[in-house]
Amino acid sequence: MSQVFSAPRSGAKRHCTSEAEPPASWVRGAASLVLLRRGCLLLLGAAIATGCASAAPPRTPQAGPPKSGTPDLVVLLRDPGTGAVGRAVVSNPQGQVNLQAMREATRVGAGAAPSQPVVLSEREVERVFGPALDGLPAAARHFTLYFKFESEQLTDESRRLVQEVLQEVMSRPVPDVIAVGHTDTTGQARANVQLGLRRANAVRTILVMAGLTSAAVQVASHGEAEPLVPTADNVFEPRNRRVEITVR
Amino acid sequence: MRILRSVAGGVCALLMAIPAAAQQPSVAGRVKTVTGEAVIVRAGITMPAKVGHELFESDHVRTGSDGRVGLTLQDDTRVSVGPKSEVRLETFRYAPAEGNLALALRFVQGAAVYVSGKIAKLAPDAVRLETPSAIVGVRGTTVAVQVGEQ
Repeated sequence: MSQVFSAPRSGAKRHCTSEAEPPASWVRGAASLVLLRRGCLLLLGAAIATGCASAAPPRTPQAGPPKSGTPDLVVLLRDPGTGAVGRAVVSNPQGQVNLQAMREATRVGAGAAPSQPVVLSEREVERVFGPALDGLPAAARHFTLYFKFESEQLTDESRRLVQEVLQEVMSRPVPDVIAVGHTDTTGQARANVQLGLRRANAVRTILVMAGLTSAAVQVASHGEAEPLVPTADNVFEPRNRRVEITVR
Repeated sequence: MRILRSVAGGVCALLMAIPAAAQQPSVAGRVKTVTGEAVIVRAGITMPAKVGHELFESDHVRTGSDGRVGLTLQDDTRVSVGPKSEVRLETFRYAPAEGNLALALRFVQGAAVYVSGKIAKLAPDAVRLETPSAIVGVRGTTVAVQVGEQ
């Protein structure tokens, strides 16, 4: 470690005596050391920061490319909706690490392999990512409405579900809705594309009647090409007569 | 004369190129939440980010010290950008029927969170999160990235 940081220290000293080229990057470097919470480095970092602070110009509030020397932090979190924890692979030409536990994190700087994963505390995650997490939009929700045979009329059961779809749509400040119509395999494939589209449009009509702008509802039809329950051709299958709705 | 002709040819080529180019950009997503100062930078033009704004490939989202922005992409991917941060939507292709799927996000500065959507489900290798020093591959998951100090 001392080897790695000896060069910056002498560099920083040089900068400190020269007003012409303020050592902003080393101030940032020092700040990153504080984050690492390693006693000796913290002292060194603080010394650099205080020693050079008078020469540093005010930092621009605009985000820009980061100065080299500040490692990036990558943290695996659980899905805010399902609670599931996936896996992430962090790599660069110098190495690769897997993150597979909740709040497992690695730090990776330019020209160095990602650090061995450590699990961050809930508090640390909240400190660094709290505001970003607060701004996360609501997760998309999916609904399936079923239709009567050869018809764009909803089944009675699905008619009852419409209210739930409407509630979900209206709960969002700027809802986007995608309605994709499907059919079973009875009849001609081409006619089924049309039937699927009529079903999707029936859903759009319901939503527009409820107050949504028609531009906020996209419709499409996959006809009989994407059955929920795969069947041979010309098979009655109520579960395939449907409109799949995404609300986001 | 020759110069004139070549200029005319260039204009013709340009006019022919416009309809093709006009069809190209498709909406990649929408701004769903905005707090404080936040902008979208598109082709060098900076505009305030407003709830409901559409988002396109190559857009940058940048926030001020009190700003944050939440985005939802066409494949249900969600991205939220914290204060003093910048994220670029490098690549977005979502045409599952043609198997054409790609998502690349570049974390330029600050703190941001990615929550996977359908592209990650259908083709995990088609998702790429880039930081200045590394590339993050994901398997159906939520990843938070911080670049630089806050």
